[in-house]
Amino acid sequence: MRVSPWHAIALLGVVTTPLAAQRPHRTGLWAELCNGPSLVRIASSASTEVTTKTGFGSCFRVGGTLSNKVLLGVETFGFLDKTFGFGTRDTSVVAETGTIAVVVLWFPWRSGFFLKGGVGTGQGKFTVFPSPGQPVVAEGVGVGLTYGLGFDLPISRKFALTVNAAAVVNAIGDLVLPTTRVEDVIATMYHVALGIAVR
Amino acid sequence: MFAALAHLPARVAVALLLGAPAALHAQQVQTPPPDSTPRGPVSRARAFPAVQQALLVNVFVNRLDVCCLDMPTQRVSLNSWSRNLRAGWEWDENQFGTNLFMHPYHGSLYFNAGRSRGMGFWESAPLSFLGSWTWEFLGENNRPALNDFFMTSFGGIALGEMFHRLTAMIRDNQAHGGRRLRRELATLPLDPIGGLNRFLGRRRVSQEPNPPEHTPGLLVVRLHAGARILSDSLIKTAGGLPTVMMDLVYGDPWLEPYHKPFDAFIVRAAIGEGGINLLRASGRLYGKEMTGPEARHRHLFQVNQRFDYASNSAYHIGGQSVEFGISSRWRLSRNVRFRTQVYLDGIILGGIDAPGTGVGERTYDFGPGVGIRLQGVLEIAGVPFVVYFLQSEYVHAVSGASADHYVEASGLELTLPVTRRFGLTAQGIDYGRLSRYSDRPDQERQFPEVRVLLSWTWVSRQRTPQ
Repeated sequence: MRVSPWHAIALLGVVTTPLAAQRPHRTGLWAELCNGPSLVRIASSASTEVTTKTGFGSCFRVGGTLSNKVLLGVETFGFLDKTFGFGTRDTSVVAETGTIAVVVLWFPWRSGFFLKGGVGTGQGKFTVFPSPGQPVVAEGVGVGLTYGLGFDLPISRKFALTVNAAAVVNAIGDLVLPTTRVEDVIATMYHVALGIAVR
Repeated sequence: MFAALAHLPARVAVALLLGAPAALHAQQVQTPPPDSTPRGPVSRARAFPAVQQALLVNVFVNRLDVCCLDMPTQRVSLNSWSRNLRAGWEWDENQFGTNLFMHPYHGSLYFNAGRSRGMGFWESAPLSFLGSWTWEFLGENNRPALNDFFMTSFGGIALGEMFHRLTAMIRDNQAHGGRRLRRELATLPLDPIGGLNRFLGRRRVSQEPNPPEHTPGLLVVRLHAGARILSDSLIKTAGGLPTVMMDLVYGDPWLEPYHKPFDAFIVRAAIGEGGINLLRASGRLYGKEMTGPEARHRHLFQVNQRFDYASNSAYHIGGQSVEFGISSRWRLSRNVRFRTQVYLDGIILGGIDAPGTGVGERTYDFGPGVGIRLQGVLEIAGVPFVVYFLQSEYVHAVSGASADHYVEASGLELTLPVTRRFGLTAQGIDYGRLSRYSDRPDQERQFPEVRVLLSWTWVSRQRTPQ
C-alpha cells in the first residue's frame, strides 16, 4: 500500500497523541543526537565590529536523571564553517568550534518542553589559507556556556524527536593570525536543530 | 510586556513592582509557606509571578538609574535592544568590586524572587540566569558583558541561597510586635525581595510555623577583631591594618545527611580597608556518606558551590567555582578528632589581577581554571584549635592579558581559648602568584600575611535539623 506524506503525518499524530499523554521526557540513562543550521558571531575586545557567518552545528548529549523534572548530562557541540572570514568579503578561513559542557535540562511542566543550561570548556580553531603560503592555524581554549530550550516529541516508548534552539558561547581568549592579533575572542553560535533522543 | 515597562516612568515601575506581590497575595491561599519546597512540577501560580518580579527588578533598577542617578548607559530604547541582540557578548571594564561582588548581589535578588515564593533551589536558579540575561541585553545600552552574566547568575545563586537561609533563620513567624519588626528589618539588606514579598503578602504579621531553614541544626558564629600585617615580596613593603572578621557555619554535614542544596555551608567575611575585602563561602550542593555514622573514621563525598572574593591593597582574586571531594573525620581519642578535606575544583569564571593584566580601564583578567584544596583541622571536644590549609589554582585568561596564572595560598591558624567564648587567634597566610605571559617575562610574587585576633565564638545546636 502506498502511503502519502499526509497519511504519514496523520499516522504520526495518532501514535504520538497517547504517548504524549504519558510521561513524555527521558528517564534513566538517555542520549540525544542533533544536527542543524547554525549562525556564528565572533566578537573581540579591540573592535566593535562583529563577524557573522552561517554554518552547520551538531550536538551529542548523554546523561541521567536527577529527579522527575531535572536531568543532568554532558553535551558536546561542534560547529564548522568552511567559508568563514574576518572581513566582510573574506571567505578564506575555516572556522571550527567545539564545546564540552555539563548541562542541566529542566522540564518545568509535564509536557515535553524543557530549558537547558550548561557550562564547560570551549575551543575555537581558525585555519587561514594565505596566498601564497602554508595554512596557518590559530587556536584558543577557554570557557564554554550554553543555554536554550527544546521540546521532546515521543514517537515510541524508547525514542523521541527533539527540537532544540540554543546558544553556545565560547570565550577563547586571544587569537594570533598571520597579519593580526584578535584579542579576547568570544564566539557565539546560535543553533536550531532536530534531534533524536533515546532512553 | 517588558518592552513597554522599560519605558515607564519610575513611579509606575515601582507601583508595578509593588503590585506584583499584592496580586500574588490573592493566590496565597493555595500556595505553601515561603520557604518550603514541595515536590512535583513547578506551580504556575508561583513561577509566573516570580518571573514577573525578576524582570520587574530590572525595570525598577533601570528606571532608578536613569531618573535618580542620571546614568547614560541605562537609557535604553528599541534601537539599543536591537543593537545588543545583534552584536552579542563582550567583556566589560568595570572595577573588581563591581563585577565580582555587586553583580552577584544583584543576582541574588532574581534568585530570591523565586525562593521567597516557595520555589526550590533548582527551580529558582533559572531566574538568576533569566534576570541577568535580560539585564545585560535589555537593561543597559552598552553591549552585554559575558563576565557580568557569569558573576550575576552563578554568584547570585550562591549568595541568594545563603541569604535566603540566613534571613529565614533571623525572621521569626511566631514572634510579635517590635521584636518581630526588628527581625524583619534586619533581614532587608540581605534579602530585600523576600522582605518586600513578606511585607506585601502580610507574612510579616501573620502567625504561622517557621520554615525548616529557621533551625539549621548547628549554627556557629565566630567574630574576630584585631590587626593584620600584609607584605609584598616585590616592593618589599609591609603594613599593619585593623580588621574585623566573621566565620559562620550553618548546618553540620557530619550530623545531618544531605537533604537540599546549601543545607550546610560556611562563610568567612572580613571588613577592612574601607569595606568588605574578603568573602569566601562554600555550600553543599550534594553529599553522600561513604561510611556509617557510627564508624570510628568517617568519610563524606561532597559537591560544593563556592563563592570567592578577596580584594585588598595587595591583590584581587575571586570567582565562581564548583568543587568535589572527600571530607574525612578521624577519631584519635574520645575527645580529639582530626578532620581532613581533599577537594578538586573547577573555576567557572575567575578574576585575578597581576601587572599587565586587564583591558582598557580594567586591571585584572577573567578566565576559567582548575584547582585543588587540602585542609587539616585538629579539634578537641568539637572546637577547632589548629587549622592548616593549602589551595592551588590555575587560571587561564580569556580576557585581558595573554597569560596563565598559578595561584597558591597556604596558611596556619591557631586558636587558644581564654574563656568559654573568648579566645586568641593567630593566622599566618601566604598568598603567592606566578603569572606566565606569552608576550612578556613571567612574574612571581608573594604576599605573606599575619593576623592576630581576639575571637568570640557562639554555638547554637537546635533540635530540628533541616
